Amino acid sequence: MHAGHYISGVGHLALIGWLLLGDVFAAEPLPIDMTPVSVISQAEYEAMMAAQTGPQSVTEVAQPAAPQEAPQAPDVSPATDQATAQTAPAQSPTPPAEVPPQAAEPAPPQPPRADVSDTAPVLPEPPSEVAVLVPDVSDRPVPRASERVAPEPVAQPEPEATPDEVAQEAIAPSTEGEAVEEPREATAPEAAATEIVTEAEKPAAAPRQSSRPPSRRPDPLPETARVEDTTPAQPTAAAPEPAAAPAAQADKSAINDALAEALGAATPSAPAPAAPQGPPLTSGEREALRVAVSSCWNVGSLSSEALRTIVVVSVGMQPDGKPINASIRLASSSGGSEGAARQAFEAARRAIILCGSKGFDLPQEKFGQWQDIEITFNPERMRNK
Amino acid sequence: MTMTVTRSVLFLVAGLALAACTNPNRFGPGDDALAGTAGAGAGAGAFAPGSASDPRSVAYFQQAVGDRVLFPVDQSNLTPEGRATLDNQAAWLMQNADFTAIIEGHADEQGTREYNIALGERRANSAREYLVSKGVSGARLRTISYGKERPIEVCSVEACYAKNRRAVTVLAGGLSS
Amino acid sequence: MIQRALTLCLAMAMAATGAGFASAQSQGPLRIEITEGVIEPLPFAVPQFEAETAGSAEMAAQISRVVAADLSGTGLFRELPATAFISTVGSFGAPVQYADWKAINAQALITGAVNVQGNTLNVKFRLYDVFAGSELGSGLQFSGTVDGWRRMAHKVSDAVYSRITGEGGYFDSRVVFVSETGPKDARQKRLAIMDYDGAGVQYLTDSRSIVLAPRFSPSGDRVLYTSYESGFPRIYLLDVGSVQRRALDSQDGTMSFAPRFAPNGQTVVYSISQGGNTDIFAMDVNSQQAVRLTSAPSIETAPSYSPDGTQIVFESDRSGSQQLYVMPASGGEARRISFGEGRYGTPVWSPRGDLIAFTKQNNGRFHIGVMRTDGSEERLLTASFLDEGPTWAPNGRVIMFTRETQGAGGQSALYSVDISGRNLRPVPTPDGASDPSWSPLQK
Repeated sequence: MHAGHYISGVGHLALIGWLLLGDVFAAEPLPIDMTPVSVISQAEYEAMMAAQTGPQSVTEVAQPAAPQEAPQAPDVSPATDQATAQTAPAQSPTPPAEVPPQAAEPAPPQPPRADVSDTAPVLPEPPSEVAVLVPDVSDRPVPRASERVAPEPVAQPEPEATPDEVAQEAIAPSTEGEAVEEPREATAPEAAATEIVTEAEKPAAAPRQSSRPPSRRPDPLPETARVEDTTPAQPTAAAPEPAAAPAAQADKSAINDALAEALGAATPSAPAPAAPQGPPLTSGEREALRVAVSSCWNVGSLSSEALRTIVVVSVGMQPDGKPINASIRLASSSGGSEGAARQAFEAARRAIILCGSKGFDLPQEKFGQWQDIEITFNPERMRNK
Repeated sequence: MTMTVTRSVLFLVAGLALAACTNPNRFGPGDDALAGTAGAGAGAGAFAPGSASDPRSVAYFQQAVGDRVLFPVDQSNLTPEGRATLDNQAAWLMQNADFTAIIEGHADEQGTREYNIALGERRANSAREYLVSKGVSGARLRTISYGKERPIEVCSVEACYAKNRRAVTVLAGGLSS
Repeated sequence: MIQRALTLCLAMAMAATGAGFASAQSQGPLRIEITEGVIEPLPFAVPQFEAETAGSAEMAAQISRVVAADLSGTGLFRELPATAFISTVGSFGAPVQYADWKAINAQALITGAVNVQGNTLNVKFRLYDVFAGSELGSGLQFSGTVDGWRRMAHKVSDAVYSRITGEGGYFDSRVVFVSETGPKDARQKRLAIMDYDGAGVQYLTDSRSIVLAPRFSPSGDRVLYTSYESGFPRIYLLDVGSVQRRALDSQDGTMSFAPRFAPNGQTVVYSISQGGNTDIFAMDVNSQQAVRLTSAPSIETAPSYSPDGTQIVFESDRSGSQQLYVMPASGGEARRISFGEGRYGTPVWSPRGDLIAFTKQNNGRFHIGVMRTDGSEERLLTASFLDEGPTWAPNGRVIMFTRETQGAGGQSALYSVDISGRNLRPVPTPDGASDPSWSPLQK
């Protein structure tokens, strides 16, 4: 046996293991920053004891106590009996259901302006100050600050009755013109702005922008690239490059390319599946899936490095349109460290599970087309929001 | 007899006031407080030493000569009015050679804290250099800057800012001789 | 050679896996790309930590509250109220009913236990990714004394924060600032120190002298500041533990101010004003030997080192108005980095090294902003009558600064804001407050 064989064997095992169990490994405390705390030595401990009364030592909690339930939570429909019985408004884990908690929470409903809502104890800004600057603003709608940033702006539902609205009313008139769709109580999506409105960018507050260097936000990809492959004339089996259009692939990592090539090359030899194959998804069907996953992809808590990391996540689907949660894995990543890729993957996984829990709206007769899905999560455009 | 008592009291008051004056770190609009103290003490006589009507007094310097010059926004160049005031100050200091002075530079609140300290120092220095150019010995004149830490007017409009952008000549010593 | 063999193997393995994957079905997977997502606080639940010993219930409740407040305060997380909980967490070791937490959309779940014995306090916690149905990292335990309970709560928060976001935390940190009382024209100022969240305020100086702009040493045990104690502004070094202080520079006839530490904790960079000119100097704390770094006839002040100690960003009005410049730490040619409208001051290099925070004045208003170190990608985060003096959280993600209101009754207060410009909020202080400086994470 040559060393090369051993290396090869180890390499193969490691890789296959990674592909199969990527998320299991990911759940381990990789290079997590626990070191500063856990690595503390006895000497340092003593020194600190002498110096002050802070927390001194850290030990890992005995692992045996870990509540290891079923390793993968079964794909339970979240609307369990319990759930329906006890928390009517929150029974669905999809974001639209998040509005009702405002009623349940002791905290006041989210007022439009985060800075005002923070109950500034000392210094409310004199309204006159705002008034003076208002004339500079054109009558374009003023984007209101919102805790939520989403692709589609969603009008702030009018709070039922908030007595302390007064401070916010200064900017209210300009928003009244837009999208006054009567929000349905239980299903109104959370208010969202298309981008973060910082205090400095509020039109009323900063009438004239300084000459800032252009932001690096890239131009949107040409839409045609995605539509191409939906031409009905194209026979399924003849399409050697499945689904993804070349243009969309261009910026992906070399690993992705290699993987795609391998997959593409293998396609012609594949035997006919049992699942109904059907024609390729229409652009509308694909778009619906994209939008559905987008609406649950929350990048708000990602580190700036994770926001520079593109992850490709594969997921197996059930015929009812629900993802098989245990099948979700990281296929590849690019642009960030392993840790960042793990954060990005976790957010992507949450998006798929969260929005897939009621089943994605996919045509059953084309199950073969979407039985396996590979989703590229590219946060580039979310970075500067 | 009564007259001498009154005089010594007045001297004492003025002395105390000046002692306060030598500490540039006092609180509040010290220069005004000082003027008030001296003025109150002078209530008895028409020409009491230390009162504003005594041309050798601190109060006279503050009120009749003019102890401060004002500056435009973010500037330390002297205005014509400022130069006129400093001409008077220079003349007075030449006549009253016993006095030394600390020139305090100040800024309005429209500026960052540390920049304003540097700006105040620049203002104090322009006043000092002008006085030196008019013959006052540089050894008698020190400078200090308070930046925006000690405004005399508290409103946030130009009328107040204009009065806060100032260099104030605060006298020290003098009555010792 | 071996490397090449490995690469080859990897490539082959990848192809093999890919082929196997693909051959299981008719064709490749459906591929879509997501480029738009949402940014919203991640919902989390912190059921009250279990009290393992009699009498530790109160402590368990307080620690749970501090953890929840730390996380909510970032704006990245949103606490779910206990009233929404379906299942209770019986004991720390009991299995988690993921379905119950999923049902209320708790995406992260933090459980913990508190154990008080005498003066010894043990706090342990676990973090769960509810939707993945697994624990995130492994449980940790912290031990300390009872009166250090807040710090232990902050340590739990730091661990949770960094596991979810992938960035270092900042909760177990302190802020030194200037506490302000009295009217605007006779304000009394004294140095104070507190936890990052405003708890545990202690005063370090009395209010007899004006004190300004304190700055922590890189190890957080000393503070540099400017005081008028001698009658003139002069820089001082104060030991936080003993509250002992000493003047650093005592050249007569000059004013020294704006001191900051170099990352080595030994060198101090600061400004000296003399004869109408302000320049930047560097001094060794021990030898007190000062070296001149700038020699322009203009105002050069507010210096700040890059985290690697090789460069200094500072403000200068050499162009006619306050702008930002970067020069080598040893002095020498400076290049201007700010080119927008208005005046720029108080630059502070972020601990990550990638950004510079600053104060900007434009059109009669003040802003806190950030830019890259070459001056590109300027973003303004705040706007008000008077915002100034940014300081960075240890993880470089949050900025604290001074906000002053206008008019005769104007007051100063501390605010914090995320570098995205979101989550602007006041930091509670007993009195007025200004000039914050954020410590590094405590060890």
